[in-house]
Amino acid sequence: MTQATTLNRPLSAAEMDAFGQELDALRSRTMAQVGAEDARYIRRVVAAVRYIEAAGRALLFFGAFPPAWVLGTLLLGLSKILENMELGHNVMHGQYDWMRDPQLNGKTYEWDIVATGDNWRHTHNYKHHTYTNVRGADDDIGYGLLRLFPEQRWRPFFLFQPIIAVIFALLFEWGVAIQRLELGKYFSGRKTKAQLAEEFRPLGRKMRRQIVKDYVVFPLLAGPFFLPVLLGNVVANIIRSLWTYTVIFCGHFTADAETFPKSVLLNETRGHWYLRQLRGSSNLSGSKLLHILTGNLSHQIEHHLYPDMPARRYAQVAPEVREICTRYGQNYNTGSMLKQFGQVVWRILRHALPSRPGVVTPLVQPVGEAA
Amino acid sequence: MNSLSSPARLLGAAVSAPVFDFWSRQFGSIQAWDRCLARVVARQQESANAVSLTLQPNRRFGGFEPGQHVNLTAEVEGVRVTRSYSFTQPPRADGLLRLTIKQVEGGKLSTALCALRPGAVVELGEAYGEMNLPQGPGRYLFLAAGSGITPLMSLSLALEQNPQAEATLVYWAQQRAELCYAEELRQLAARLPRLRLHFVLTREPLRLAGELARRLDAGLLETLAPDLDALQVYACGPRGFVDQARLLAQGRALRFHGEAFTPPALAPGGGSVRVTLRASGRSLDVPSGVPLLAALEAQGLRPESGCRMGLCNTCACRLVEGVGQNLNNGETISEPGSELRICTSAARSDLTLDL
Repeated sequence: MTQATTLNRPLSAAEMDAFGQELDALRSRTMAQVGAEDARYIRRVVAAVRYIEAAGRALLFFGAFPPAWVLGTLLLGLSKILENMELGHNVMHGQYDWMRDPQLNGKTYEWDIVATGDNWRHTHNYKHHTYTNVRGADDDIGYGLLRLFPEQRWRPFFLFQPIIAVIFALLFEWGVAIQRLELGKYFSGRKTKAQLAEEFRPLGRKMRRQIVKDYVVFPLLAGPFFLPVLLGNVVANIIRSLWTYTVIFCGHFTADAETFPKSVLLNETRGHWYLRQLRGSSNLSGSKLLHILTGNLSHQIEHHLYPDMPARRYAQVAPEVREICTRYGQNYNTGSMLKQFGQVVWRILRHALPSRPGVVTPLVQPVGEAA
Repeated sequence: MNSLSSPARLLGAAVSAPVFDFWSRQFGSIQAWDRCLARVVARQQESANAVSLTLQPNRRFGGFEPGQHVNLTAEVEGVRVTRSYSFTQPPRADGLLRLTIKQVEGGKLSTALCALRPGAVVELGEAYGEMNLPQGPGRYLFLAAGSGITPLMSLSLALEQNPQAEATLVYWAQQRAELCYAEELRQLAARLPRLRLHFVLTREPLRLAGELARRLDAGLLETLAPDLDALQVYACGPRGFVDQARLLAQGRALRFHGEAFTPPALAPGGGSVRVTLRASGRSLDVPSGVPLLAALEAQGLRPESGCRMGLCNTCACRLVEGVGQNLNNGETISEPGSELRICTSAARSDLTLDL
């Protein structure tokens, strides 16, 4: 990954502080504007999720008629994507806590996916967002399954990675669901069976609920059309998994996205933290529709700088973030979905084979060295 | 849920509270999964600056007693705001509720509520408050100042169902136009000789027959209630008024019950405040102005926490009452129901958290 060395320059301690202050100021300016408009927006998203789901499920009841099945499945998948990304993910970050609506509360929101909100709040909001791309601290790096960076130790298992990555994408919602269980610890004997069973209990309840809802109740309601509805639900969930997998992998595993050793966490300043978020994240450029369908994770950089800012504001702050990055000599990693996902696929393929880390620019300029 | 048949339970698995509530509202209903919503069915201008709203609550409403209050929540500019209001009528056969809202200058919620029209929907909490009127014989002196009339109004109306009780209601306002229920009270007093009624206007140039103009003092109390030692005194109004009533009546009357609205007193940084953790049933003193998470941990508690820099929302918990402060931007947080991230927030007054 030698290209990273030319894209960013290390910042001096003073520059790092100034960089942090500029981003803090941008945050304050934007948060001061948050209000009625954002509330209206998220309510509209809720309405869109509900109406699209109802339309999709209604069409699926006529699933014996193929066009109805196709459209119904697509709409149900679309509703699930919106619910997970623009609604669930963002609400669970506390982006709408200021509305004081118990049904849009970050701590209690439960989304339409097999992973429990509580597990996600731990693995994502806390671990991933605090330790973004820090090897050994952020489990989102390859989800304990894939080798995406040369710094990860190679094992023969990774030769199967191209196939495993596809299976993982199809079952992504299940992969995310079991992430918190840290099965690796169980298999290596660092976690007892009893501990695992205890941790699985709330997750098991959630999984059962999702299975009963999508694969029992709605198919049963369709009576003789049980099978088309069941199949439509399965496919809608797979569509959602593929989409979220694509978006999430584009967020941190493009060619120029960096990972960091645990040592960066020592005495990390605010500016340093911002810089790490920036260098570990990558954006997707595209239309407004793309931004909505990705839950604005197309603005992964802005999301990582400001995880609790209402996501619809990311598009507004992005030009300023980019301008700040330019002034501080930092690469603002963005590109079309095709380009970014192409880079992700390359990483999956390339690092299935043994690979060695290139030279990486440090975040901080070593003392005494001129920029 | 045990009594439900299995098909109903299966359906329950497919519908969650937010989904049910959404579709209920879309179809124009106020029924909700687990919240009490209420629809405004009538609105009446009660005085120059107060409006009575008649509300139809949904099936989740748990009932109330005269003299009690309820937390009323409505959305203002996309943000839910909650204030406590008294029921101003005893429970009615038709299940409707009347609340009276005084428009406070600059008051976010009161201004919005006074502008509500029939059809609007608000949310109600559970009724609370101990100022009630027990059945059976009793002689009462009701002292009401300003909006303090509201709980005493429902108690006065409740006299009708309580034939052995009698009361004197003394109601202070600055000007006549600010009196609520003047006509309703006069008619009630005419119907009910057991209720003696006195209006006191402190800033009205011209007085009508029966109106007084004197602040609450020992002399006035002696005139209105020479038999104070046989009376139960209920006083409601601003803090100063209730304190004065307490000073004059407590120890002399049969019983004294005062209710005043108290804005929380801000503790200076470095002082000590009492933090009550409602979910864990604990109460402890912590220094004001320091991050709550660190302060609670210093006392051996282990609240859930994550990044410790205010970004991951793991430590957020609901403010029940009191004033907190976000140490990152200095903003104070006093609205009940707000989420407080305790890693970067401090207590600025005694406060209660849902933790």
